[in-house]
Amino acid sequence: MHRAINWLLALLTLASAFGLYAVKYDTRRLEAKVQAQERALEKARNDVTVLTAERAHLARPERIEPLARQYGLAPISAKQYLRVEVEGHAVSAMPAR
Amino acid sequence: MAVTMTRGSSPRGANAAARLLVRRRALITLAAALGCYAVLGGQLVRLALRSTPEVRSSMAEALGGSWSRPDIVDRNGRLLASDVAVNSLYADPHLILDLDEVIEKLVPALPGLDAAELRKELSDRSRRFVWIARALAPRVAQRVLDLGLPGLAFRLELRRAYPLGSLAGHVLGAVNTDNRGVAGVELTLDRSGLTQSAQGVARTTQPPVRLSLDIGVQHAVADELMGAMQLYKAPAAAALVLDVASGEVLASVSLPAADPSRPSDWLEPDKADRLSGGTYELGSVFKMVTVAMALEDGIATLDKIYDVRQPLMLGGYTINDLHAAGRPLSVREVFLHSSNVGAGMMALEAGADRQRAFLARLGLLDTMHTETGLIAPPQTPKTWGKTETATIGFGHGFSVAPLQFAAAAAALVNGGRRVTPTLFARKSGGDAPEQLVSPATSAALREIMRLNVTNASGTGKRAEADGYRVGGKTGTAEIPGRGGYQEKSVISSFVAAFPMDAPRYLTYVLLFEPRPTEASREHITAGTNAAPATGRIVARIAPLLGVLPRLVAARARDSGAFDAPTAAQ
Repeated sequence: MHRAINWLLALLTLASAFGLYAVKYDTRRLEAKVQAQERALEKARNDVTVLTAERAHLARPERIEPLARQYGLAPISAKQYLRVEVEGHAVSAMPAR
Repeated sequence: MAVTMTRGSSPRGANAAARLLVRRRALITLAAALGCYAVLGGQLVRLALRSTPEVRSSMAEALGGSWSRPDIVDRNGRLLASDVAVNSLYADPHLILDLDEVIEKLVPALPGLDAAELRKELSDRSRRFVWIARALAPRVAQRVLDLGLPGLAFRLELRRAYPLGSLAGHVLGAVNTDNRGVAGVELTLDRSGLTQSAQGVARTTQPPVRLSLDIGVQHAVADELMGAMQLYKAPAAAALVLDVASGEVLASVSLPAADPSRPSDWLEPDKADRLSGGTYELGSVFKMVTVAMALEDGIATLDKIYDVRQPLMLGGYTINDLHAAGRPLSVREVFLHSSNVGAGMMALEAGADRQRAFLARLGLLDTMHTETGLIAPPQTPKTWGKTETATIGFGHGFSVAPLQFAAAAAALVNGGRRVTPTLFARKSGGDAPEQLVSPATSAALREIMRLNVTNASGTGKRAEADGYRVGGKTGTAEIPGRGGYQEKSVISSFVAAFPMDAPRYLTYVLLFEPRPTEASREHITAGTNAAPATGRIVARIAPLLGVLPRLVAARARDSGAFDAPTAAQ
C-alpha cells in the first residue's frame, strides 16, 4: 500500500517537473512573442507620430494659404454673409469652419 | 513521516510519557516545516499573480538618455509639437579598427562634421561611447549605415518636431539636444513635471497639452502683421488677440519670429518676444486707463470740459498736443483727439496716490506671469511726483509689457471684470472674476472707443473693419533715447476690441519704429499704420472666431447704439 503511494508520489513529482519545464518554456516563448508584438506596436506608434507630424506639416497654414488663393479662395468678406428671414426671425448664416 | 510516527504508538508503561513527548516534538517540527512551505508557496503565488515591472538595463542606454514630452496642440487639437523617433549616431572608440578610414569616410557623408575634433574624440580608446551626430535625417543615416564601418552604431532617440515651423514659435519655446525645454511652454512642461526621462523611444503617456492659441487666427494675424511690417517699413512688430471673457490668448505674434527648432534664436535680442519679454512706454493707449480712472473715481464725466488751449507746464517740462485743438475739449473729445494736455490734466486732478491705486487695481504694478514664465515686470518711476502723474496720464514715464497692458485694457471693455491672460486652453466655468471697475465705466469706455473709429475726427478711424464694429485707441510713443525722446523713432500701437456692442475679443497691434511711407501718408503716427493694420486683422479673424458682421441690409432695423453710419464700401 505504502509502496504504491510512494511510487505514485514519485511519478507525480516527475510529471510535475516535466509540467513545470513545459510551462516555463511556454512562458518564454510567449514572452518573446509579447516582446516582438511590443516592438511592432512601438514601431507602429512611431510611424503614427511621424505621419501625424508630417500631415500637420503639410497642412500648415503657411502652405495651404497660397494654394487656396491659387484656386480663387480667400478669407470671407463681410459682404459674403447673407441674412435670411425664417418665419419672421432673422437668421444669420455662419461660415463653415 | 507522520505515518511512521503514529504507527503502533500505544502507551506502554514508563515509556508512554517519553513517547508522547517525542510525538509532540515531531508534530511541532512538522507544523513548522509545513508553515515554511506554506509561506514559500504563498510567495510563489503572489509573485506569479502580481505583474512585476520589467527591469531592463544596458550600458549603452544609460549613457545617452533623453526626455519624452507630451504633444502640444492648439485649442482645436491641431498639432504644434510632437516627439518623433530619429537616428543618432554614436561611436565606440574601443571597437574602431582603423581610425583614419572612419574619419576619411565619415566626414564627407556627414556635412558639418569637424575632422580634427572627431579625431580627438575618437582617439581615446578607453572611452566606450561618443556621440558623433544627433538626430540624423533618415537618408543621411542610411548613407552612414552603407559605409559599413565597425565601431559606429545608431540609437533611436526622441526628437521634438515642430510641424508648423516658426508659427507661434515664441509661445512654444525650444528644447535642447536632450529634448529638455529651455524656453516658452516647453520649459513650463519640464517645470511642471509633465516630461519624463526616457530610454530610447519610450514615449510618455501624458495626454497632449492644449494651448489657448487658435492656429488659424495665429496665422492670419502673423500674415497681416508681416504685411504691415513691410508696408510701413517697421523692423519689428507684435500683435495679440485676447478673449476678453476668459483671458485666453488666441494669437500671440512677435516678429521677427523665433524658430522653435533653433534654440539659438532665443539668444538674439532682435527675436525676443516683444509682447511679454520687454516693457515699453506705450503712449496714448494709456489714456484708456486715465479716462477710466477719472470716470470711476467720479472726477469727471464724458462731458466734462477741460481747457487744453495752453500747454501744460510742469517743473521745467512742457506738455504739448500734437494737433492743438484751439478750444476747450470734453473728456470724450480729449480721448478722440488724443490730447496729452487733457489726459495730463485729468491725471493731475486725480493725483499721484489715486493714480497709483488705480494702476494697482488694474494689475499694472504687479509682476505678472503666464505659462511661458514671468513676463517682464513693469517699470515705475522712482519718484511719483506731479510730472510723473501727468506723463503717466498719457502713457509716458511708465513702462509695461504689452501683454500686461492688454489684460488691463480687456478688463476695461468687458464690463469691468479682471482678465488673467493664459496660454493654456481654459475650461469654461469657474469662479466669477473680480470686478475691477463698474459696468458703467466700462460702457463709457466702449462708447468712446467705438466713437474713436466711427467719428471723422477720431484718431482710429482707419481701423474700421466693415461690419465688425471695431473700437479702439491709438498710441504713438516716442522711444526714449540719448538726450530725451526721439521724435522720429516711435512705437505705434492700436488697442482695439470687437464687436464693440458686446466685446468678445481684444486685439493689440504694435509697430516698432515704423517709417513714413506712401501707405501711411508719410506719417508715423499710429492712426496711419497700426490702426489700418488692426482693421485688416479684425476683418480677417472675425469670421474665424464666429463674430458676425452687422449686415448692410439689417442695419436700418437693428442698428445698435455703437453702430457706424453706413460707410462707403
